[in-house]
Parts: sequence; structure tokens; C-alpha cells
Amino acid sequence: MSDVTSDLPQATGHRLEELEKGLFTSDLSVNEFLLIKEVGFHPVGFVMGSSIYHTGIQTRKWGQSLELTKLTEAMYNARELAMTRMEEEAAELGADGVVGVRLTVNYYDWGKDAAEFIAVGTAVTAEDGVSRLNKLGKPFTSDLSGQDFWTLLQTGYFPQGLVMGTCVYHIAHRGIGQTLGTTGQNVELPNFTQALYEARELAMTRMQDEATQLGATGIVGVRLEEKSHQWGSHTIEFLSLGTAVLKTSGDVTLAKPVTIITLDG
Amino acid sequence: MSGLEATSSSLDVKAEVRRANAFLAEKPPTTGAGTSDLSIDEELNLHSIGWEPVELVSGLSVFSTPAGLWNWGQGEIVMAGEAHQRAFVSASQRLHNEAAKVGAHGVVGVHVERQVYSTHIEISLLGTAVRPVGAKPVDASGVFVSDLSARDFTLLMVAGWQPLGLASGASFVYAPRRNVGTALQQKSQNVELTNYTEAMYSARETAMERMQRDAIALKGDGVVEVKLVEGPMRFAGHAVGFAVWGTVVRLTKESHHSVAPLKVVSLNDTDVAFDTAALA
Repeated sequence: MSDVTSDLPQATGHRLEELEKGLFTSDLSVNEFLLIKEVGFHPVGFVMGSSIYHTGIQTRKWGQSLELTKLTEAMYNARELAMTRMEEEAAELGADGVVGVRLTVNYYDWGKDAAEFIAVGTAVTAEDGVSRLNKLGKPFTSDLSGQDFWTLLQTGYFPQGLVMGTCVYHIAHRGIGQTLGTTGQNVELPNFTQALYEARELAMTRMQDEATQLGATGIVGVRLEEKSHQWGSHTIEFLSLGTAVLKTSGDVTLAKPVTIITLDG
Repeated sequence: MSGLEATSSSLDVKAEVRRANAFLAEKPPTTGAGTSDLSIDEELNLHSIGWEPVELVSGLSVFSTPAGLWNWGQGEIVMAGEAHQRAFVSASQRLHNEAAKVGAHGVVGVHVERQVYSTHIEISLLGTAVRPVGAKPVDASGVFVSDLSARDFTLLMVAGWQPLGLASGASFVYAPRRNVGTALQQKSQNVELTNYTEAMYSARETAMERMQRDAIALKGDGVVEVKLVEGPMRFAGHAVGFAVWGTVVRLTKESHHSVAPLKVVSLNDTDVAFDTAALA
């Protein structure tokens, strides 16, 4: 989807060198740290990628619902840049994957059209030395927490990559005639419904396409976010995000969960 | 409790501080129960591995920054990063001293509070001092400080790891302004703003590197629960700050001890899907 420049900004060099010498950093909680050790992985470093991106301008027609391709492209591009930089850091550390990825957008005073896209996560390696790189030869990424990662592995599935789809959509305003015509009535507003449906479908389809590229058999933990960012009320970004998974081991007998009543408040 | 008489109506702050200091200095290592902000669960957890809470301890440090530091310039705002670092170090030094004074071996559950103002940087640390039951006091340099909760501390110890101390780093960098021509030219385009991206990166890398340096100095194997705060300051739109801190840990037993989690279904109403209490 994007032509990503493959060079990390220069400043990263020294920090990663230190990590290669054996120190690890991670934003995992102690629980997550122990669970990841439990399934045979070791954290190698806190990795991140970021990009500050200026979003272009696209004119919208007042009465027309349509995808704003330029804005969609900007959102895609910026996230790809951040994700790719994070993956590069992980690859540099010789990691097999990145868990607990968080993908966020920040706005600053510098200009309302500019936003920072950040991806952070903890790079991990398999302690048995078997490579867990995904089909594309890159470290797997996943937004699952350490707990979810442990649970997922118990079921015999393995994460392949964080997949996403996005669509920025302009939803048409209703004409005055229409508005007057429906005053005082219970009626569905088909143009709004239709527009929202279409935007959501586009985003979901794009996410699924990414998963197919990774040869995944499913996507878990999908989140659908609707945000207007700073575009006004009739322009919406639909973002769907999830972890693509693939069944890697044969039959698994899942332990029966123990029912407990905790004594915590 | 000789040091705590009711204060007179006109408060003499300096005298109060002197009195508080004298009170702390006089105090012998406690033998009985002290104060702690641990929950009952956490206290039981600690006792399960043979540790006990001793006293609530705190450390605070305020460092001033020169006026006009935040607005114009290029590259890193060295003095701000330095002030932050020194505030952190001296606050944690005070925490070490207080903990050693009450006969503790470590401080757990440290709340890290940081405030960055245009004129000064303030770091405050507050936690519960702990020690193995009945252990002899150690000197301040032998005390560890950790922002892990008592429960996390217990879990780590069970798994064969030990917290060594807090590592931190911060860096503040000017975000260069675009000139008018460039800004106009880019108005309608989708472009990455490389100058901002690089400023952000440089703040982040410097801060992370400083934290790693701390961790290496403590001879740690790694840093867990790294927290990060980033973004522009309210009073300085064209500067970005990045601060990180976390607990340095080291594997002390010969190998990592598996904690063997159980799958449980909690019958509580809360939507917590995974209850970590079962791990202990």
C-alpha cells in the first residue's frame, strides 16, 4: 500500500547496540513477563516506530457520500511507516516477533493537519532457537497482551501479524427537502445507514486482505474504531485492527478452566 | 512521638522542616509494625515469601530550570534533561536513605510522580519499605527501589528474579518550525514531516539510552514495566519531552523458575477475563 523508506532515523543506532549485548527493556507487566517466559519466549527490547505526518486536503461534496481516498491513503501511509520502523527495530535485534503492540495517534500544537503516529511494543525471541518469522520473513506482530498471547498459544494458534484496514469516508448531508419530509416520522435514514455500512465494509475487507497475504486462517481480538479526528462531523475514519493467527500445532486438548470465587473486593 | 506537637497558628516552615528532619534522624530502626500503603492481600503475599513491610518512605526533589529555556533553540534542551535526571537521582537517593534508616532492604510499590513546569522539574517518590522478616539493616547503597507492586515483587521473587532499582531517562528536544514557504507548499499534500519525526526520535532515543545506562550500571539483566510519558509541554508548544522509567531486574537463581499458571474462571461480576491471583 505504501512505499516505505527503509532507513531508521540515525539516533536509534546506539540504543539498539546496547540491547544486542544482552540487556532487555520491556513495557510488559510482571505478569506478562512471566507468562511470556512460560511459553518459551524471552523479551529482547522495547521497540517503537513513529512518524509525524501531514495530511493533505481533499474537497468534499456537501451532498455526496464517498470515500476520501487521499485521507485514507495518508492514514495508511503514516501507520505503515510507524509499523515498519518498529518491525525494523525488532529485526535488528534478531527478534522473532513483537507482542503488546499499541498503535496510537497524537495531535500537537504544531499544526492541526499534522499528527504523530506511534507504534510501540516488546520484541521477543523464542528460547528454543526455532525461527518464528511469518510468511513474509518478518517478525510477527500482535496487539495481544502477554496474557492473551499465552492463552492463544494454549489453543495451538500462533500470531502472524497485526493487520489493519482503514477508510476515511464523507457522509452526505441531507437536503432540506428530505429533512422536512421526515420531520415527525419514524423512518430509517437510508443514505446515512448505507454510507456507514460501506465505510465499515471497506475497512474490514482491507484488514482481511492483509490477513490473507500473511496466509492466516483467522483474525482475533478485532477492534473497530470510529474517529472524526479533526475533520468535522461528517467525515469519519473507520479503523479495524486485529491479530492474524494461524493454527500451527495439531490437536490440542484444552485444560478445563477452574472456577474460582476471588476474595478480592 | 516528641516531634509532632500541634503547630502554632503562624507557621514557620523552616522550623517545621528542621523538626521533621530531626525527628527522622533520631528515629531508631523500627522493630514493631510500621505504616504501609499495602493492601491486606499484598501484605499476605509478602509474608508468603518471608518478607515484611517496615515503613512508608518518600523522597522528593525539585530542580529549577533557567528562564526562557523552552522556547527558542535547536536540538536537545540539555539543561532540562539534566535537571530531570538529577531530580530523579536525588529523590531516589533520599528514598534509599530513608529506607536504610528504618532498617529495610528495599522499597516496593513506589509511586512515581513527575511534574514539569516552565521554571522547575519536580520528582516525588513514595513507597513501602520492606525487608526479609527479622533481617539486619543494610546501608543505603544496598537497598533496592522498585515501582512494582508488592504482589508483582512476590511473583518475581518466586520466579527467581530480583528487582535492583529504578532506571530512568528523560530528554527534551526543540521541534524545529517549518518555514512559511515549506508549510504553504505542503498544505495540500500527504507528506511525512521529517524534521518533527527526527526531533521526536532523538528525544526518545536519548531518553531510552539514559534509562539503559542506568540499568547497565546496576548490573541488571533487563528492565520491566517501562512507563513512558511523551508529548509537548503545555507551556512550550515547540518542544517535545520524552521520559521513561522502569524497574531493573536480574535473574538471581540459576534458572528461571516456571510459575505454571492455572486457567480459572472468576465468578466476580467484573469484566476481568484473566485473574492473575491464581498465579501466586
